[in-house]
Amino acid sequence: MTQTTEFDAIVVGSGISGGWAAKELTEKGLRVLMLERGKPLQHGADYKGEHMAPWDIPLGGKPPRELYEEQYPVQSTSYAFDETTRHFFNNDRDNPYTTAVDKPFDWIRADVLGGRSLLWARQVYRWSDLDFAANKKDGHGIDWPIRYKDIAPWYSYVEKFVGVSGEKRGFKHLPDGEFQPPMEMNVVEKAAQKGIESSYDDRFMTIGRVAVQTQARNGRGACHYCGPCQRGCSVGAYFSSQSSTLPAARNTGRLTILTDSVVEKLDYDAATQRISGVQVIDSNSREKRVYRAKLVFLCASTVASTQILLNSTSATFPRGLANRSGALGRYLMDHTLGTTAYGIMPGFDDKYYSGNRPNGIYIPRFRNVDGQDTDVDFLRGYGYQGGARRLGWKEMSGRISGFGKEFKNSLKKPGPWIMYLAGFGEHLPDANSRMTLDKTKVDSYGIAQVKFDSAFGDNENKMRKDIATEGEGMLNAAGAVMVGSMIGSGPPGAGIHEMGTARMGDDPTKSVLNKWNQAHDVPNLFVTDGACMTSSSCVNPSITYMALTARAVDYAVTQLSAGNI
Amino acid sequence: MVNRRELIKWASVALGTGLSASLQQALAAGVDSTGKHDFFTVEQATMVSVISELIIPTTDTPGAIAAGVPDFIEAMVADWYTAGEREIFMMGLAQLDKHCLTQYKTVFSHCDAVQQSSALSWSETQSKHYRGADLLGSMGSDAPFFTKIKELTVLGYYTSKIGATQELRYNPMPMAYNGDVNFSDLGRQWSY
Repeated sequence: MTQTTEFDAIVVGSGISGGWAAKELTEKGLRVLMLERGKPLQHGADYKGEHMAPWDIPLGGKPPRELYEEQYPVQSTSYAFDETTRHFFNNDRDNPYTTAVDKPFDWIRADVLGGRSLLWARQVYRWSDLDFAANKKDGHGIDWPIRYKDIAPWYSYVEKFVGVSGEKRGFKHLPDGEFQPPMEMNVVEKAAQKGIESSYDDRFMTIGRVAVQTQARNGRGACHYCGPCQRGCSVGAYFSSQSSTLPAARNTGRLTILTDSVVEKLDYDAATQRISGVQVIDSNSREKRVYRAKLVFLCASTVASTQILLNSTSATFPRGLANRSGALGRYLMDHTLGTTAYGIMPGFDDKYYSGNRPNGIYIPRFRNVDGQDTDVDFLRGYGYQGGARRLGWKEMSGRISGFGKEFKNSLKKPGPWIMYLAGFGEHLPDANSRMTLDKTKVDSYGIAQVKFDSAFGDNENKMRKDIATEGEGMLNAAGAVMVGSMIGSGPPGAGIHEMGTARMGDDPTKSVLNKWNQAHDVPNLFVTDGACMTSSSCVNPSITYMALTARAVDYAVTQLSAGNI
Repeated sequence: MVNRRELIKWASVALGTGLSASLQQALAAGVDSTGKHDFFTVEQATMVSVISELIIPTTDTPGAIAAGVPDFIEAMVADWYTAGEREIFMMGLAQLDKHCLTQYKTVFSHCDAVQQSSALSWSETQSKHYRGADLLGSMGSDAPFFTKIKELTVLGYYTSKIGATQELRYNPMPMAYNGDVNFSDLGRQWSY
């Protein structure tokens, strides 16, 4: 123990939020220490799966099943997990957690510098006041302390740096952003769009708004349409901490990064009412160190940030740091995922595409937009991500009988066009959906393991049925045949949009953070990752974390300069 | 010293007097073997080579053997298959030989091309009860022998350099997305 170094600010975590915190803080002149529990990773050089040819991928791309079952049973459920990306992910065996009986939770975690910003699906959608006012309107959860007007300029600020491609459509509840030229819908998606938009007054389809550049800018390249972004992109066409915020922060000369550094807890000094130190365990040597700074930005991810706070007990905060309200660990949310409608789109057998577009289409929420719909038996709503493509040889070969020349020649041609719509449903905030620390079980660092106790409720299950029914209806309107659907049954966490557990609010007795992402009771503590979320909306959350982080840093540095922190 | 791969090549050619010309040629040309696997006996390896080439033969593009599929199958059966899957596969090979002994009074590898093709068709009929691939094209662990060897042949072939670049189209750096292309201008599907 010992070795103390002075910094102006400490940022815990290097993912989407941590990267933004480091960039903003260093650019405002602060000396920043970034602590990352994962391994070092060099942009480009360590993307060993990037552009890997099919013939170089082990086992023809089949999963090494024994290894995954033993060491990656949770991580391997992620769509982004395979042998080209495994080196980015957490090893489940070495990083255990528990759940309440019969309440599974998928905690997907990266284990490298850059975190899940390397692995995210890059979809970018602004929230609107339909989202920020939702809790107040129907009484689930507490009111957000902010509205769209508070965050709108910060959305613009981060989008300009991120590089978001998309199409401006003027949807009132899905605001347009600062867009680079949109990616193109394919010929079948355009037909589906026409079919859907001409059949419904309130349903629209647009190309996915995605943090993948269609124009080179700021030293980052434009997308070259190789396809699997999650393997890493050495030209930095998609936004990650590695491609974007960390280089910007490094350029200031004021960023120090320590990887393999597990934050165990934060020390609280009751006399100053401030965090006085950050306790760190070196994951290689197991040596313990304490680092000190005026400001602490907790950006370790929804669950990991709250784990650190719950583990930081003191006489003042026996239930966890900044947890006077008792809300810490509660109101854990995700999005329902996996409910999908699909169908075959006939009439385009002579049409195909070239390039592997890392993006799909989006259908914004249409349920309960102007008040509660009378024919809908759930609150709030959902949106769809989807797309059209032709089935490939892998999917078709098992459906074509026989063998020999005719069989081989039949696989020269792609299969039918399919179109699918996958719903993302809002998850109501609920005090009983929570995470705690299981003091009886510790990890290899001696830190109490996270215990999840969360399940989707009646509202989410009703919504899933509607996602399937309406998805089928829209595919029929789009001209699809053989339309079907499946109701997703994935547990919370599987959407990898976990949110809440240290929510924002105006009332310190009901919330952990104020409207600036600052802990009500600990002025030098800011939490700007998904933990801060007071509700979940139905749109992908990352761009909101980025905007909130930049906004929080602006406030924190102003307060620091004014001598208030 | 003659390595095992050479032995299989030799055995295939020596045995295969009744084989089709293209199959004989493919077997004689052999493949670049890593020599890592010796799970199959020479007889079994020969059978697997012949079957893979029957499933994806040499046409205007190279077939399964030239693409290294027999090695791929051996590696998957030896290292990737579960014990249960392996048993189904090995039993399937044995049953195919047994079928040939009954029908043609000789083992599969000694049959002529017409007999081998008929025998493989028989094997396919034995798999007709199977429900088939899931949505993503993966076969279940309990899939019967023919389904299994066809799946491995297809996977090995279309993920090989020959399969991906000569039979299908492969372009790791397309540089653009065009969502309205005439298939006739491409003629072959993308390998991804």
